[in-house]
Parts: sequence; structure tokens; C-alpha cells
Amino acid sequence: MSGDGAIVLDRVSVRFSPDIVAVSDVSLKVRAGEFVSIVGPSGCGKTTLLNFAAGLLPAGVGSGIFTVGGKPPVEGNRDIAYMLARDALAPWRSALGNAELGAEIRGVPADERRARALDLLEKVGLKGFEQAYPKQLSQGMRQRVALARTFALATPVLLMDEPFGALDAQTKLQLEDVLLSLWQRDGRTVLFITHDLSEAVTMSDRVIVMSARPGRIVADVPITLPRPRSVRALQKDPAFHELYAHVWSKLEEGLGT
Amino acid sequence: MNDGTLPRGPLIWLGRILILAVFFALWEYAALHRWIDPILIGAPTGIAKFLWEGIFVNGALIDDLGWTMLGTLLAFALGSAAGIAFGMLFVVSPTVESLLNPILMALNAMPRIALAPLFLIWFGLGLGSKVAVGFSLTFFIVLSSTVAGGRGVNPDHITLARTLGASGAQVFRTFVLPSAVPVIFNGLRLGLVYALLGVVGGEIIASEHGLGQALQLLAASFKTNGVFAIIILLSLVSVCIMSAMNLLENRLLRWR
Repeated sequence: MSGDGAIVLDRVSVRFSPDIVAVSDVSLKVRAGEFVSIVGPSGCGKTTLLNFAAGLLPAGVGSGIFTVGGKPPVEGNRDIAYMLARDALAPWRSALGNAELGAEIRGVPADERRARALDLLEKVGLKGFEQAYPKQLSQGMRQRVALARTFALATPVLLMDEPFGALDAQTKLQLEDVLLSLWQRDGRTVLFITHDLSEAVTMSDRVIVMSARPGRIVADVPITLPRPRSVRALQKDPAFHELYAHVWSKLEEGLGT
Repeated sequence: MNDGTLPRGPLIWLGRILILAVFFALWEYAALHRWIDPILIGAPTGIAKFLWEGIFVNGALIDDLGWTMLGTLLAFALGSAAGIAFGMLFVVSPTVESLLNPILMALNAMPRIALAPLFLIWFGLGLGSKVAVGFSLTFFIVLSSTVAGGRGVNPDHITLARTLGASGAQVFRTFVLPSAVPVIFNGLRLGLVYALLGVVGGEIIASEHGLGQALQLLAASFKTNGVFAIIILLSLVSVCIMSAMNLLENRLLRWR
């Protein structure tokens, strides 16, 4: 790992055209190893911020200072692993082939990436399915493969754009547990986009609440729940529900103004 | 089985054979009793006899079949190689596509069989002119399916590739090419059938060898049994080619 993984935004705005301001004046510091979620109504520029970090925005639309691991956003930044809402698996590759794909494109030697992919497939609970093609896997299993592919890139920064948004509630809880245990293991910086407040509170060290477009930060809520956390146990924890209600009220404020 | 019903599969096959048997029996009977002039419809026994002699006794049909298949395979190989190459070039370079596409579309609009006399002047009575007709059909079919396949890449894959910092060549090799293969395969299957069509068409117009040429000779001398025999042989060849392509496709594209 090269960069330290900290993400710094100082007065960042994104303007796609004079009329369309996606993000307005956002300042945020994410420490290395921190798990930060961004929640907000759809169209609030959450994904735009993530795409900015990954260097996917067209040149010239963003302003302000934005650094990831100390460097300005650049497409293909090797400090970053990006996970999309849809699994984006290659249907012609086995689960193992898909788990290796990212590392393969980044030129990781074959033995090393194979070993890493096998290890991660086991960690996400897909031991025995290495040779299965995506069509043979359920949606939840496919997203597990995508998790393995993302973590197989040994990057200090993970950018996740609603990775569990399309899953049913049960599968979602399972995968949140998997993600937490993987994150706990090697402590990378995670910037996590979601519209599910419960998910954000469960996973994060901090929850950033954004307003409707143009997206601004309306609250930065520290989640003081102890770690390691159990996703299932938290669902019955009063402290969890208190934080949830607090984030919810902030979100409503953001919608109201 | 023990409750007295046959499985569906064998029963269906029995039905099919029965229908064909009745059909051929009626045909034979109609020809035998001259309900319809046998010069028009031949007779199943005569067709069978012609096939038997042409394949097992004098081997004339096998010889002609060999020429036709050689022409078909050459036209298919050349046409699909060129079609895939140009198609991929179009996918990779929009400039090349906008330059060449209108010209190629105009060429594709020509009725290819009408070009056959020209090909005869250029390439002679032999194999060359037949391959040219087949090529001119296969090329465009494979070209358009390759372009369609190359364009059909999943946008999520492109986003993923960009975040990974994939080079143009990596994107092409890792995502564009594999996702295009199933569509290209559909084009190849159709292209093979059209290669056969082009070669046989060319042979009918003028040739030294081949099933098309034999068909033309037999028809000109009202040997209707022979005409039917060759039509049946060509159909069988087509079916075999299609099955082989399906088999290959299923092996190569197990992931689908």
C-alpha cells in the first residue's frame, strides 16, 4: 500500500452545467482507516462525490481541494478499489476468475492474485464455488464475489457505492457482517454511500448526512457504538436506535430546508 | 412405463417417423399410378436409388459434395475472418467506421447472385468464383454481428475498468471481446449457411464441379429423382453444419 488512505475535501463543489450543481461547498476529512458513510436523498450528489474521488468525473466540473491518499483524484488510482451497486461480474469468468479480475488488470503476478482471490472467496463464504459461473450464483453470492474482487485489490482506500442496495434484507445483513469483518481485519479507509440509514449507523465510525440537491453536508454524526460490532445484535441495541433516530432527524432537516 | 404410457420423447419420434412414412408412401403411390407425372415429382425409390449409387457405387455425388464443401469452408473461413477483423476495427475506431461503413453498406445492398457472372469473369469457372460469391455474403453478416457484439459491452464493466486504470487494450481483451463472442457466434452460424448458399448458387450459374452444377445438369435433362436427391443431400449437409456449430457454441460458451 502506497498512500496512507486519508481523504480530504476542502470546499468541494461539482457543477455539471451552470444550472446543475450536484455538490455545493463540501468540506470533509476522513482519517486513514476510518469507515465513513454518506447518506442523503437520491440526487444529493453522494455518488458524484465518490466518482470525483475515483477520478471518473469529466475534467473541469469539480472545484475546491480534493485529495485521496494525499493525491488529487485520478482515474485508475492504484490506492483505490471501487465497488459498484451492481456486481459488474464478467459472466464468462468463474467466481475465482472474477475475484482475480481487478488484481489482474492492475498487473499483480498470477500466483499472488490467485492466492489472494482464493483467500477472499473463502472469507466471503464462497468456498467450494470457485469454479461456478455467475449465472449459477444467487444475487447475494454474486455480490460476495464482487466484495472479494474489491478486497483482492490491496488498496488503502475503498469506495463503495450502495454495494448492498439491490439485496433483500436478510442477505444484506449477512453481507454487512462480511464487510465489517473484512474491514476489521485490515483497517482500510472506507467511504460508503447508502440510502439505508440503518446500514450506515451499523457499519460506520461517522455518518455524513447530505441535503437534497445541491448536496451540502447538514450533519456529521459520530457513531460511538463499540467495535467489533455484530450486525444482528445491533438491531436490538437501544443505543443503535437512538443514533438511528438522531441521523433520521438530521436527514429530515436536510430535506426540509 | 409400468402404467402403460411411453415417455413423451420416443412417442414424438415415433409420430414423426410415421408422418414421414405416410408422406413417402403416398408420394411413391402417386408416382407409380401416374396421378402426377413422375417427371415433375420423381419417386422416393428412384431418389433413394440415385443417392445410393451416387454415394456408394460410383461416388459421383461424394466428389461433387467434396468440391461444394471445400468452396463453402474457404468462403466461410475467409469471409468470417475478414468480417471479424473489420468489425473489431469498427468497434475500436469510430473514425474508420464512419469512413468505411456507408461504402460497405452500399456494397451489401447489391444482390450478390447478380455479381456471380462478374466473379466468373474474374476468377474463372473453378473454385475461385464460388468462394467469391460465398465470401461476399458471409463477410457482411459476420461484420454486422461483430459490430453489434462489440458495442454490446456492459457499461458497468467500462466503469469498473476505468476505476482499475485499465488500458485500452486491456478493456478490449478483458471485456469487449469476450462479451461480443456470443453475438459473433450467431453471425458465424448464419454466415456458414450463407457461404453454402453462395457456393451452390455460383455452381448453378456456371461451374466445372459441385452439387450446384450437378443439380443444374440433372434439372436440364429432367432427371427429377437426381434433383431431389441433391436437394436432400444439401439439406442434410446444412443440418450437420448447424449441429456442429451448436455443439461448438455450447462447448465454448458454457458460461451462458
